[in-house]
Amino acid sequence: MVKDVPCMRLVIDENRCKGCNLCVLVCPYKIFREGKKPNRKGIVVPELDRPERCPNCRLRQLYGRTICGLCQLICPDQAIDWIGEEPYEHMKVAIEY
Amino acid sequence: MNFLEWYRVDRLPSIFCAGCGIGTVINCTLSAVTSMGWRRNDVVFLSGIGCSSRAPGYIRTDSLHTTHGRALAFATGVKLAEPRLNVILFTGDGDLAAIGGNHFIHACRRNIDLTVVCVNNYIYGMTGGQGSPTTPVGARSSTTPYGSTETPFDLSELAMAAGANYVSRWTPYHTKELTAAVKAGLETPGLSFIEVMTQCPTGYGRANRLRDVKEFMEIFRMRSMLKQKADRLLKEGKPVPPDAIVIGEFVRRSRPVMGRRG
Repeated sequence: MVKDVPCMRLVIDENRCKGCNLCVLVCPYKIFREGKKPNRKGIVVPELDRPERCPNCRLRQLYGRTICGLCQLICPDQAIDWIGEEPYEHMKVAIEY
Repeated sequence: MNFLEWYRVDRLPSIFCAGCGIGTVINCTLSAVTSMGWRRNDVVFLSGIGCSSRAPGYIRTDSLHTTHGRALAFATGVKLAEPRLNVILFTGDGDLAAIGGNHFIHACRRNIDLTVVCVNNYIYGMTGGQGSPTTPVGARSSTTPYGSTETPFDLSELAMAAGANYVSRWTPYHTKELTAAVKAGLETPGLSFIEVMTQCPTGYGRANRLRDVKEFMEIFRMRSMLKQKADRLLKEGKPVPPDAIVIGEFVRRSRPVMGRRG
């Protein structure tokens, strides 16, 4: 049985990131990828590759502690954080007879 | 509580260059402080002058940004005036080893109840990459353009010989271990010295073909050697590679402590 826990979402703050790509180096799930396009400030911010694989997003509330957190700890610019997200809702399908 | 709540969000993004390791060191230190369960009024951060010494300006606690090399002298005063406070210092190698060297050995000798986090980036970063007392032999910098010829300082050995109660050395690549080391230093009464060998892609890396942070981190990953392994090699009579960065916990002891009641 799956408990109904609030989900978290991995985000990179584009205002703080300086594009050093240290998160790409340390993430064991290879969620971070080197970006391609410079943003408004001319900084190539890393891309997220299927961030829902991050174990901290799903399990942080369940365990009550940060699970891996390597990217957040090594980020020299404090740009990586998890924000709360509304839990996934099943889509209501109207069945027509 | 997350360590990000200690930051002064209005000051971010920080002034440090892209890929600088000081941000990682602040993260690990604040993470250790958070795990100690201390509130904002229990901690004071001090610093001298240099790149690393800008760190307390980004932390939402009381802090002192003092004169070059004299952070330890100010910290002694803070600790003796109010022993309730937990005093943490951010210093650099130029701050601690060069101009503040005498303050450092005497703080270790007196064994004042402080935690010193030394961000050792091999050079003077803020003033343009001049050679410091910890520049390795053969490394280029602004003042040693043909390679440094002087033997560098080993700050951890200096702290051990001078009498600090807790000494360890890590790199920003080993974030979890660094956090645990800072936490052990905060728990240990007496002077705790945590040396962090930090990457400096702008000042040191530009002159030594390490402009890319990933290459710098690869060096920390490949060349760092645990103290246990270095001891084992020495016991077996094998040489420790000269470019190896010996990391780990060097000493933890209980010499008499100054500045602690009871």
